[in-house]
Amino acid sequence: MSIINYANKEIQFKVVYYGPALCGKTTNLAYIHSQVDETNKGELVSLATAADRTLFFDFLPLNAVVIKGFKTKFQLYTVPGQVIYNATRQLVLRSVDGIVFVADSQWDKMEENLESFQNLQDNLARQGMSLDSIPYLLQYNKRDMPNVAPVHYLEYLINNRGRRVNSFVAVATTGQGVFSTLNAISRLLLQRFAREAEDSVSKNSRSGAATAATTALTGVATSPAPAALRR
Amino acid sequence: MQTMPILTIQTAEKLLSALEDFLEKSEAHFALILDRGGIILSQHGTLPDTADTNVVSALSAGCFAATRELALRVGETECSALYQQGSSSHIFICSIDTEHILVTVFGKQTTVGLVKFYSARTTKRIAAVLQEIRNGPGIGGLFSKEDLNGAEELFVR
Repeated sequence: MSIINYANKEIQFKVVYYGPALCGKTTNLAYIHSQVDETNKGELVSLATAADRTLFFDFLPLNAVVIKGFKTKFQLYTVPGQVIYNATRQLVLRSVDGIVFVADSQWDKMEENLESFQNLQDNLARQGMSLDSIPYLLQYNKRDMPNVAPVHYLEYLINNRGRRVNSFVAVATTGQGVFSTLNAISRLLLQRFAREAEDSVSKNSRSGAATAATTALTGVATSPAPAALRR
Repeated sequence: MQTMPILTIQTAEKLLSALEDFLEKSEAHFALILDRGGIILSQHGTLPDTADTNVVSALSAGCFAATRELALRVGETECSALYQQGSSSHIFICSIDTEHILVTVFGKQTTVGLVKFYSARTTKRIAAVLQEIRNGPGIGGLFSKEDLNGAEELFVR
């Protein structure tokens, strides 16, 4: 669950990369870790087997842009994709704010993609959540493989819920599409956060409590420093 | 996105004060309050330079959650604490409430019994502050959608 920390001037979000086994979830994080500036990332932790199969989760903390003086931080997790690790997938999904579903574009992986997508919905439901309320994106990975399904077929197969979401093609081993996906899910979360903040202000205004409540929250007399959007 | 808790300066100071008292009495090195998803709410004390508190929090949350599930699988409904005994550094993780846990790292200068004793008191104090946070006002006026405009890349490469 995201949290706003007025004391440290931080907002934190949790993003989980989900998908079937060997679809490229860990590869996404490894690529991101290799590319992000040293001062804006933490250690990439991988709890994996000797065969480099994710056993529990991979974890990568990232710092993103500063907005209105608040540092935005993202904690990226992956889940183990193998079917036997469903119990641990449920644990990693706890308090998730956003999801990237990574699908393997190869024709012979379609059934696994669908099973994993259904598994995601089932595991969210166990925690009282659903894809209707959680921001998520689709990534169609391994587009460089020889026997891949066309994107429109993947869209038909997976992106066919009442609310269609953004999808991205990717080759995670080379980095293609990795940052597009990451930026998109991060923006989605920040935009949703901004929207909820605006709704909250509107409600407070109607109840006449806005100004006093905001001042009490910040505990400072002056407004925060101007935003510094680092590129 | 679930309802977002807000840590005001006042509540952050209360949490920090609780951890300061706890470390002083228990003689532990380091304490961390996090939610069960692994997000840090407050921390106090020192860890080795090589330790990243984000990683410690993620691993602690995962560890606690996994152990709790394991306990449930063997028919035990109560799983409020976990103790990792090392040769020089030990870790004690305990539940504060249904959504938060307290992680304590301590060494030879104290004992797990003392850490457990003061954890019990501290978690009650922290739980009261967390309840205050839950009852607090909603988010408001932090930034708007327009503030995100123009930032194509959110991460520095």
